[in-house]
Amino acid sequence: MKLATSKKQKENKIKSRSKKADDKQKTILEMLKSHGAKIYDDLDNGQFPKFSIPSRSVSNIVYDKKLRQYVLGNNAALRSSRNSAQLRSFTQLMWLAFFANRLTNERKSSTLRDVYYSSQAFAVEFEDQSESDNIIVDLEAVTSRAREDFHIFPEERSSIFGDLNIEYTIPGYEGKTMNLANHPDGYSIGPSLTTAELVDTSAEIVIAIEKGGLFTRFVEEQVDKKFKSIIINTGGQAPRSTRTLLKRLHDEMKLPVICLTDGDVYGEHIAMVIKSGSANAAHLRELTVPDAKWVGVWATDIEKYKLPTIPMTESDIKRCYDLKKDPRYQDGIWKKELDVFLRLKRKAELEAFSKYGLTNITDKYLPQKLELAKSL
Amino acid sequence: MSSIKEKFNQISPSEFFYSNRDLAGFSNPTRSLYTAVREFVENALDACDQKGILPDVHLTIKAVDPEKSDPKPYILTVKDNGPGIDAEHIPLAFGTVLYGSKFGLKQARGMFGLGATMAILYGQITTNKPVTVKSSSDAKTQNQFEILLDIQKNKPVIVKHTTKEISKKGLSVSICLEGDYSKAGNKIRDYVYETSLITPYASITFDDPKGQKFSHPRFVKDIPAPPTIIRPHPHGIDVERIRRMIVESQFEIPTIDDTMIEKVRKDLGLSKKILSFTSIMDKAKKKWKTLPRQVRVVIALMSFLKMDFEKLNKIRIEDLDIPNKKLFYWDFGDSQSKSVDMDPESQYYKQLTNTVQGEPLTTFLTKRFQRVGPTTALKFAAFAKLKPEKRMGTLTNQELVNLSDALQKFDDFMAPDSSCLAPLGAEPLEKGIKKFFNPDFVAVVQRPASAYSGFPFIIEMGIAYGGDIKSGGPHVYRYANRIPLLYDEGSDVVIKVVNDTDWGRYKVKGEPPFIIVSHICSTRIPYKTAGKENVADRQEIERELRLALQFLSRKLASFMSKRGQAEMAKKRANLYAKYIPMIAEFCTELSGKKKEPNYKKMLETEIASETKKAVKEENEIGNK
Repeated sequence: MKLATSKKQKENKIKSRSKKADDKQKTILEMLKSHGAKIYDDLDNGQFPKFSIPSRSVSNIVYDKKLRQYVLGNNAALRSSRNSAQLRSFTQLMWLAFFANRLTNERKSSTLRDVYYSSQAFAVEFEDQSESDNIIVDLEAVTSRAREDFHIFPEERSSIFGDLNIEYTIPGYEGKTMNLANHPDGYSIGPSLTTAELVDTSAEIVIAIEKGGLFTRFVEEQVDKKFKSIIINTGGQAPRSTRTLLKRLHDEMKLPVICLTDGDVYGEHIAMVIKSGSANAAHLRELTVPDAKWVGVWATDIEKYKLPTIPMTESDIKRCYDLKKDPRYQDGIWKKELDVFLRLKRKAELEAFSKYGLTNITDKYLPQKLELAKSL
Repeated sequence: MSSIKEKFNQISPSEFFYSNRDLAGFSNPTRSLYTAVREFVENALDACDQKGILPDVHLTIKAVDPEKSDPKPYILTVKDNGPGIDAEHIPLAFGTVLYGSKFGLKQARGMFGLGATMAILYGQITTNKPVTVKSSSDAKTQNQFEILLDIQKNKPVIVKHTTKEISKKGLSVSICLEGDYSKAGNKIRDYVYETSLITPYASITFDDPKGQKFSHPRFVKDIPAPPTIIRPHPHGIDVERIRRMIVESQFEIPTIDDTMIEKVRKDLGLSKKILSFTSIMDKAKKKWKTLPRQVRVVIALMSFLKMDFEKLNKIRIEDLDIPNKKLFYWDFGDSQSKSVDMDPESQYYKQLTNTVQGEPLTTFLTKRFQRVGPTTALKFAAFAKLKPEKRMGTLTNQELVNLSDALQKFDDFMAPDSSCLAPLGAEPLEKGIKKFFNPDFVAVVQRPASAYSGFPFIIEMGIAYGGDIKSGGPHVYRYANRIPLLYDEGSDVVIKVVNDTDWGRYKVKGEPPFIIVSHICSTRIPYKTAGKENVADRQEIERELRLALQFLSRKLASFMSKRGQAEMAKKRANLYAKYIPMIAEFCTELSGKKKEPNYKKMLETEIASETKKAVKEENEIGNK
């Protein structure tokens, strides 16, 4: 009886979950339809169709202090099919909306590269993939929706490991569950994982780490168990699907997120992008974890832990000066550490801790930083 | 120790050119055939130009034995309707090297007639056949010569000479030479073709060894004004040239013999009369202005000797000692040398010093150079630190060198006279380009005369786009003094200027169908090599070429932008036709509609209006 109840409960749960996914799909389809209808009406009235698109030029990207991320300003450009210089990209965008509509309808996913090739079936030419990628960003900007919502995913994959139960929502796997601590190499973060329901977890924190090598070390050293954590390898700059997942872990599972990167200006910025997004995605929300914390490797750690260093290159230094102009680097550890990097003119990688033994980073450094993170 | 005694022999010009024939473009059978064609055709055109005759030139190349493989002997004949050459000059003109009529400073295709004799020499060396010359200079008799060249003596050997009656003037030259038409054919055809473009007033035909006929009839009836022969410009002169000019300006004291005395008597109108010394002097004074130079000199001598004709007959003038103002003479009567003093104040003194010491510097400059007036001459004398009255005959070697340097460096001479130039003219050039290329656009320009190193020059240039012109341009047609330059274009100044141009700036992109015709006219073209195929990059010439090209390029740019607008309108129409239906298709499915939107009429109207715009722009271009 009890069993039956729990079974029924579970079924209800699944239903409610797939309803949620259905709703989302419906909204997107409605929105695409309304865009399409506008174009249709223009043509039907004997007019060249046109629409407005938020400008993505540098001058229109501004930092929103409230949202704690970059957003697009109020400048918008008019795209008209009458303008022969815009006609081609207008058509490309129309096609993409049409294609995204089919994908969403059929719940099929595709990659950026797929989109590039699919266009050829409709005699819509793209010079190269970067042109089609660019049109995808246009669609995001017009609809204020991430491409993942249209079932278009990037190639790059990062991975995740730790005690987290998920339940798939993609066609053919609906209701199927998985524990993400089952495979020691971790699970790659693709469309099925980003769209899966996050069921439950015993973890109390998410550790985002920049490098695959360290990710493997953390799994080996059972950091997930020792520190009750979910470990995510961002593989350098975190891809959007990973940032979406980080946000969901934070918002839905109420887990704090900390970032561990190389001790250089690029590492610092990887943490910043997780926290407050990139200028490139200023037209999108829902990709940031404003409460995420960068715990290391700081410039001050280099001296504190006497880490072996390598000198900064000229481009490293230039990057420091560029970031000093960024409004997000005007206070707190962000400013402080940037200044120290500039003073030291040296940098240290995560692997530098291996000088004091392979497990030094997990045995000594990580506990100290986790403790520190609470006070940040 | 043994010494080797070297033998020094004087060699004749023929021998010199025989051993240096590469210099003149006779290096191999291919090049030689081409050069020979060039030399004879250019001689024919030059001859007609000088007499203002519309040229009819017929070029024939025939293989002696068509079955043989190249290189093999060919008979090359060039016939013209020019003034012909007098029979007495023919053997020397065609049988000696360095004999010609084209001396003097003016624009001509060739100089000295050297090239033609080189071709004859080459033909004789390779086939041992004489040159056949048929000439009529009076439209009545034709003289026909067969001539061989005695290379060592540089003298003609007449093999045969006949005459016959004829009704037309003209010259025909025929030589037999070793050549390679299979290799040279392309160049020769190009040469004839390009020559007819720059000589639109000439009719040129070419019968090639394969039996093909190429005919380029004249399409301009007016021959450009022939150039005038002028004096040299001071900037274009060197020490050797000055030395020769001084010699020309000096005169020797005439030998006073019976004939001379008879002449003086006659000129004074005293043939029979016997007059005293004073009466002779009086008579001379009255008639002075009409007296020739030699007679004046004799009178001047008599004035110091104080002798009448009777006494004059018994002496011989020995020396004029100008520094000591003494006149030495030998008296046959006493058999001894005597002298008299000359009074420098006497008017006759000047006559004698002029004769032996040459002209004063200022006179020399104003009389023998172009564009030098008395004021400039005085200024120059100060600049050169020479006295204005300095006698040219008394200049030392060092002073001559200094004078030559100063002539180069003095900036106040006026620019060289360009009346010695014969540019084709903008209008015939444009006609030629239109006829040859049937272009969509053509512009021509003739720059004002300019000069380098004292040699005047004029740049003429034309630019044409589209029509029958092949893509992959700019194709450059280079001319110098109406000669097409076909070889060695890599190092030519015209090519350099064209290559330096950023055509994108003038809206010319990709592999455009366009040509540039460049014509440099000058009394001396600064060729880089003796082969006369590429022009050196003299700063002044480069500058003029650039200005001409910029002027034309701007015109081309405005044409291109008009054409661009027409093309844009066409392109827009095409784009609408291609993309609007696609947009219609996509938005129909996207909006969930069954039927496509009603857009066809709007599209048709728009395409029609764009097409109209395109036609309008194109008509505007056409009307220009």
